[in-house]
This record gives sequence, C-alpha cells and structure tokens, in this order.
Amino acid sequence: MTAAAVALTAGALTACGGTTTAGSGGASSEGGAPTELRLAIGGESEEGYDPTLGWGRYGSPLFQSTLLTRDADLELQPDLATDYEVSEDGLTWTVRIRDDVAFTDGEPLTADDVAYTFNTAAEQGGLTDVTVLEEAVATDETTVELRLERPQSTFVNRLASLGIVPEHAHGEDYAQQPVGSGPFELVSWQQGQQLVVERNEDYYGEQPDFERVTFVFTDEDGSLAAARAGEVDMAAVPAALATQQVPGMRLEAIDSVDNRGVMFPTVPEGAVAGSGNEQVGNDVTADLAIRRAVNTAVDRAALVEGVLEGFGSPASGPADAAPWGNPSAAVADADPQAAATMLEEAGWRDEDGDGVRERNGLRASFALLYPAEDSLRQGLALNVADMVAEAGIEVRAEGVSWEEIDRRLHTDAVLFGWGSHDPTEMYNLYHSSQAGVEYWNPGYYASDAVDAHLDTAMAATDEATATRAWQAAQLDEQGEGFTASGDAAWAWLVNLQHTYYTDECLDLGETQTEPHGHGWPVTAGITGWSWTC
Amino acid sequence: MVVDLLTDGAARTAEAAPARIGRLGPVLRTVRVLSLLVAVAVGAFVLVAASPVDPVDAYVGADLAAVGPEQRAQIEERWGLGDPPLERFAAWAGNVVTGDLGTSQIYGLPVTTVIADRFAASLSLMALAWLLSGVVGFGLGLLAGMRAGTWVDRVLSWWAYLLASAPTFWVGLLLLYVFSVSLQWTPVCCAAPIGTLPGEASLLERLHHLLLPALTLSLVAVSPVLLHTRQATIEARESDYVAFARAQGDRGTGLVLHRVVRNAAGPALMLQFAALSELFGGSLLAEQVFTYPGLGEATTQAALRQDVPLLLGIALFTAVFVFAGNALGDVVHRRVDPRARREVAA
Repeated sequence: MTAAAVALTAGALTACGGTTTAGSGGASSEGGAPTELRLAIGGESEEGYDPTLGWGRYGSPLFQSTLLTRDADLELQPDLATDYEVSEDGLTWTVRIRDDVAFTDGEPLTADDVAYTFNTAAEQGGLTDVTVLEEAVATDETTVELRLERPQSTFVNRLASLGIVPEHAHGEDYAQQPVGSGPFELVSWQQGQQLVVERNEDYYGEQPDFERVTFVFTDEDGSLAAARAGEVDMAAVPAALATQQVPGMRLEAIDSVDNRGVMFPTVPEGAVAGSGNEQVGNDVTADLAIRRAVNTAVDRAALVEGVLEGFGSPASGPADAAPWGNPSAAVADADPQAAATMLEEAGWRDEDGDGVRERNGLRASFALLYPAEDSLRQGLALNVADMVAEAGIEVRAEGVSWEEIDRRLHTDAVLFGWGSHDPTEMYNLYHSSQAGVEYWNPGYYASDAVDAHLDTAMAATDEATATRAWQAAQLDEQGEGFTASGDAAWAWLVNLQHTYYTDECLDLGETQTEPHGHGWPVTAGITGWSWTC
Repeated sequence: MVVDLLTDGAARTAEAAPARIGRLGPVLRTVRVLSLLVAVAVGAFVLVAASPVDPVDAYVGADLAAVGPEQRAQIEERWGLGDPPLERFAAWAGNVVTGDLGTSQIYGLPVTTVIADRFAASLSLMALAWLLSGVVGFGLGLLAGMRAGTWVDRVLSWWAYLLASAPTFWVGLLLLYVFSVSLQWTPVCCAAPIGTLPGEASLLERLHHLLLPALTLSLVAVSPVLLHTRQATIEARESDYVAFARAQGDRGTGLVLHRVVRNAAGPALMLQFAALSELFGGSLLAEQVFTYPGLGEATTQAALRQDVPLLLGIALFTAVFVFAGNALGDVVHRRVDPRARREVAA
C-alpha cells in the first residue's frame, strides 16, 4: 500500500520536479571532472564489512581483494592469484598468489593471510558458506593449499568472492574498520546514513578515476528524491519507479541473473514421503503435458513488457546470462494453440464445456502461490493465469504469506525468484538429493540423467568440463534435462534488469551481469568508471 | 509494533498511578519501574518467541541458494539459538542483572552501544520536534480556545483534525518533495551533508539537516496538544473566576496570561510528557523517510529480523524512557497546578 501511495506522490509531483536544475552532485575540482562520486544504491551491510562473515559474497568486496574475479561476462579472471590447479581427485586446490600486494596498513599480503581467511570463514556462522573446506594451509610465502572434504567444482566461486583479510589485523572491530588490499579504503561509516571510502593509492590493479566515493543509504523513494534534487550521481530504483524522466540523468538498465519462474511439484500426491509428516505432490502438475503446456502457452515477451515495464528479458532457465546457461533450452512460447494440442494428445479434454480440461475426472486446475507483499510476482502470477486459461488450464493465483508458502510448497506451484553467480544453485534446485531440503527442489523433481550431469559438474576439476555438464543438465543431446523441452520441471518466466538513474556524465564502462538483488554489485566495475563531461 | 504496544501500556500504567504516593514516593516509584521492566521483558520475549519469523531465514534472505544446512547450523550456534526459549530467556535475564544486554545479531555490536549511538541521534530530533509541537500546539490551542466559534478556531481545528489523520510517512514524503526536491531549500537525507566525515559538519549544517525531519514529526504531534489545550481554554474561559476577572475589567492579553494560561497548561503538559511514546513511533517513520540514523531504524530492523537481544534492549530502554517522561510530567504538572499538589498532601 505504501508503495502505491509513494508512486502516486512521486507521479503527482513530477510536474513541479521539472524545474529542478540538475547538479553534478560530486564535488567538482575547478571546471574539470569531479573527484568524488555519490551513490544512492542502498545495500548497507548492517553487520559490517568482514568477508569472513559474508561481506562481498557476490564478489568485488571493494575494501578487500579476492583470489579470482569475474569479468563483465562472468568469466573467471586472475586477481590476487596468479594461477591455480585442482588435484585429480578434486580434493586439493593449490593457489599461487602475487608477491607484490600489500594491505592498506602497509603489511604485505601473504599465503598465510589467505589460509587464515579461508579457515576463519569456514568456521564463522556468517553468510558465506565455506563448510566444504577441511583446512587451508600455506605451503610457502606465495602458495596456499585448500583441502576440501569432498570434490566441489563450485568452490571456485569462493575463490572469486571471499575477500582476503589480514591475519594480523582481524580483530573484534574489523567489521567496522576493515583493512584490506582492494581498490578503496573505508574512511568513515556513519551507520544508517552514509559510508565514505577513499581510493587506495597503493592498489596493485587499475586505479579508479575517483578519489572519494560516498554511499548514501536512502530507501528507494529517498534515492529517487536525491536523484531529482541532483544530490547523487547514481540512484538505484525499482523498475516500477524507473519510468520517469529525471533531469540530468539517464536510466541505466543492467542485466542480472535475478529471475522469476513457476516451480511445479513434479510427483503425484502421496507418491513419495516427505520429511516428517508433510504432504508432497500434486496430481495435476505431476503430468508432463500440463507443465509443457504452461511453458508453451505463456507469452514471456508480454510479461517483460507488461509487468517489468520492459526492464528484463524472457527466461528459459535459472542461469540464462551466466556462462553455464544453455541458450538452446529456450522454447517457442506465446502459443496457446500448440499448448492445447499437447493437452489433447495427453488426454486432457474439456467435456463439461466450462473452459477447463479434465482427464479421468481430474480437472486441469492448480494453485499458484506468490508472496502477497510482492507486487511484481503478483503481476506475473495473474498474467500467467490469464495466458494459460486460453489453453484450458485453470491456474488459481493466490497471494499468501511466506509461512503459508513454507507449508504448501511441496503440494502447490510457487512463483519463486532465484539467480546467482554460483551454479551450486542449479544443483540445489534440481538434484534429487536436495528434494525438500530448505527451499531447494521443493517439487521433488528427480531425473537420473539430470542427477548424473549435475554430479559430473560438481565433481569436475576444470571449469570447461563443469560448464558443459551444467549446460547438459538443462538440456542434453538426448533431449533430456529439466528445462521446458525436457522435463519442464519449472516454467521459467523472466530475467530482471536492475535499474539505476545515472548522471549523464558518468560512464559505467562494461557492466557485469548482476546477481539477485540490487546494490553494490554495480560497483564491480568501478575501477573502469569515468567522467565524460 | 511490539515496542509500541508495550510503551503504550507503560504510559497507561504511569498515568493510572495515583497522585497520592506521599513520602514513600521514591521507593514506590522504584518498585513500580522495576516491576514494569520485568513485565515488559517477559511480555516482549513471549511475543518474540511466538513470532513466526525465523531469524536465520531473515538473515539469510536472498542468499537462500548459497547457504546450506551446515552453514545454517553455524549461524544458529554463533547466535546461541540452539537452546530452548526458556533457557535463553533465563540466561539473558541473568546477564541483564549484571548490566550486560547482550550482542545485537544484526549489528554484531553490544546492544548498549547500538542503543547509545542511535539514541544520541534520535534525541536531538525528538527534542526539537517535542519542543516545536509543544510550543506551537499550546499557542495555537490557546488562540483557538480564546476565539472559540470564530473562523480562526474553525480553521485551526480543521487543520488539527487533518494533521491528526495524516500518516507521518506521507507528510514526510510530501515535505521532502516540496522542500528538498522542488524548492531545494533543505537536504534530502541524512544527519549531515553527503560525503562529510563525522565532525566535519558544522552545527548549522546539522540543524539544516534536522529541520525537515523535526518539522514532519512535530506537525503530526501538534494536533493532540492543540485540541486539548483548546478544550481546556474554553473550560477556563467559561469558569466563574474568569467571569469575575472580566467583571473587574480584565481584558485581552492580561486576562489570558493571568487567568487562563496556567489552567489550560495542565492537560497540555501531561499530554506532552505522556506523548513521548508516540514521539518514538513517529520518529521511526520520519527517520525512515529522511534516512536519519536514529533508534527508529534500529527498532524496525530488530523487529523484522528477530534480533531478540536488540529488541528486548530497546523495549526495556523505551519503557524506562516513557516512564521517566510520565514521572516528569507528574512533577511539572504539580508545580504548575497547585491543586495537584494539594491532592498529594492529603
């Protein structure tokens, strides 16, 4: 309700906002480009800036540096590490690091610091999951051995996201006053309002153009107001607010792996026992024809235009924009006629003429749950219901609480959102061993072929093999996989773009496909940002 | 929300306190405040324990895909969530007696530090809003009461009703758009200019940043004071002693100052001190709109993410704060109105 009111207020006041003069916001050195940036992109880490507790878990921790890094196309590139190799059994990762890197307090960064960081993160109850690590050992000044409990190719993402902390300065107040070797140094954190960082003049990588960056922690409406008043150079806003003109600013829509899709229970009612006494299964969505028909009947392009205001793209799997996504998994959609044919062939017919098909007395009708407070998912659910009705399937969109979704996610279809820079997510969503664990594989999907591909991907010792196996899990050469042309375990709908009002003079260079959620990920390429006026 | 309920309860308890405490006053008050704190702590804990929000879920949030069961177990262990609720409460209560309110799960800092930092920021905001709403509300109430029935009264009353029904959040946004975005007279956010380090901002700059949030908060708080003062003024104006003064030729400002103000001030003062709990609630919203880093923001976070130590700490702190406000209200009321003093002596 507040969101609607806010949108109204903002809209109503657009007219008077038009007279606003757009200032550059940043402190300008006489006539030239500003040396300071002001960003209202949210994302304050209340817990502080300690990577071993989860700070920077999407990569680019800003104050610290990581062993590897992901470039704009999400391909891995060396950073602190010069190279790494994985043993045959996949259990020992040997990483060699640069010898010319120092922390901002002047102390050199050594293999001991790397080992300390990984060991600490493995034991800390934070948001970065390094539980697979048995121990990390520095074998000399520049070599560290990471020993795992079991092979896990996705461990490479910890190399790309865990910022290295100094063993000698990792005390109790580290989260408030981090010391690292990243491109910026934290100068002042005024909790709840702003954080000021300054360029690390000794940074070993490319030097950023800007000496000082301030992050302002306004909420979405506040950010938009700040952009309108010309007080910030960049403001993150939700797509619903991104339709206005802000003087002096352009709208930057950045691709993300943030996605939305419909999860189907894939087993019939009572076919498998849930953990404890929970109900599992749905007789309607357990039928492959129904799941494929939904995938074929929905008009994904129309969802992007109508619900996302154009800020997004049609989705065919959980990781379309990532290197491990499989472009061939996309299916022709927006075709209720073809969907109807599929249903006819599978024996679903509308015999009582109420517009909904039946088979053996079972109506082609199922509930689609979405969290009631999420207007985006509501829009998607209602539109999907309309689109598939034409094919003779009844979808009952229900806005409910997360608690209710928790209770019903094994028996009803749910509109979920995922999207990660780590393919572990794909394993968790589709491997039969993850059925009913946390929110993973809630539909109890199980396929031997997909399990085999996912296991291969997980056990792979090189990136290329892993990537091929991840792609095969989506759709392999035999036509098996969890995507729409295979088992259609989900109906993926859309990938979101994240929207930022950005000063017309600020060039962001090549932007990285962002993970789930707005915010600091946009600063991944900050060393390449420049002022063009 | 939880805190609101509790502080309202606290306000009521304090209001209900009979004025005849007598010489045992300090002792009784201490007993009262202690029993109140115990009740608040138990009540808040029961509510928190019954809440369906899982703190680990709230903490993990969008990282659901990347945090496995083993890692969740580590998080629970770090926060000490493994023990049954009663044991956790007993352990917490034991620490509180020694002055240790525990560590906030969200901020990773001692609860006392979080509250002290945040309250320092909230205090200036609330104090300014409190003074503004008190002075403006009382002045306008007096004016409306003295001119009861005229257009001045009608405009002021109408305005008060309108403000009383306007949500703080909405008023804040409106002011933000008018003064900060369109006119650019005031800054859009924060307690200091964007990009300044602590200590760099001058007093004037801080006041400038405080102005709009305080105005928002006071605007909404003005109406109850205004309406109560108006009523008290009308009653005083119709009393025998005012009629007598009039008969003796007292007129205008003199009459108001000498015969009405003191009598009308009673309800306004009591109300103003009792309204500290509402001020807390309002500051929460005003702080959110203007990104003003006060206790309100910490309270919302603590409630949304089930930060039990912080939530309980804030509940206790606000209970004491509101209790102190009410007690102070009693004292001031007695000073202003001798009748209240007589009741105590009897």
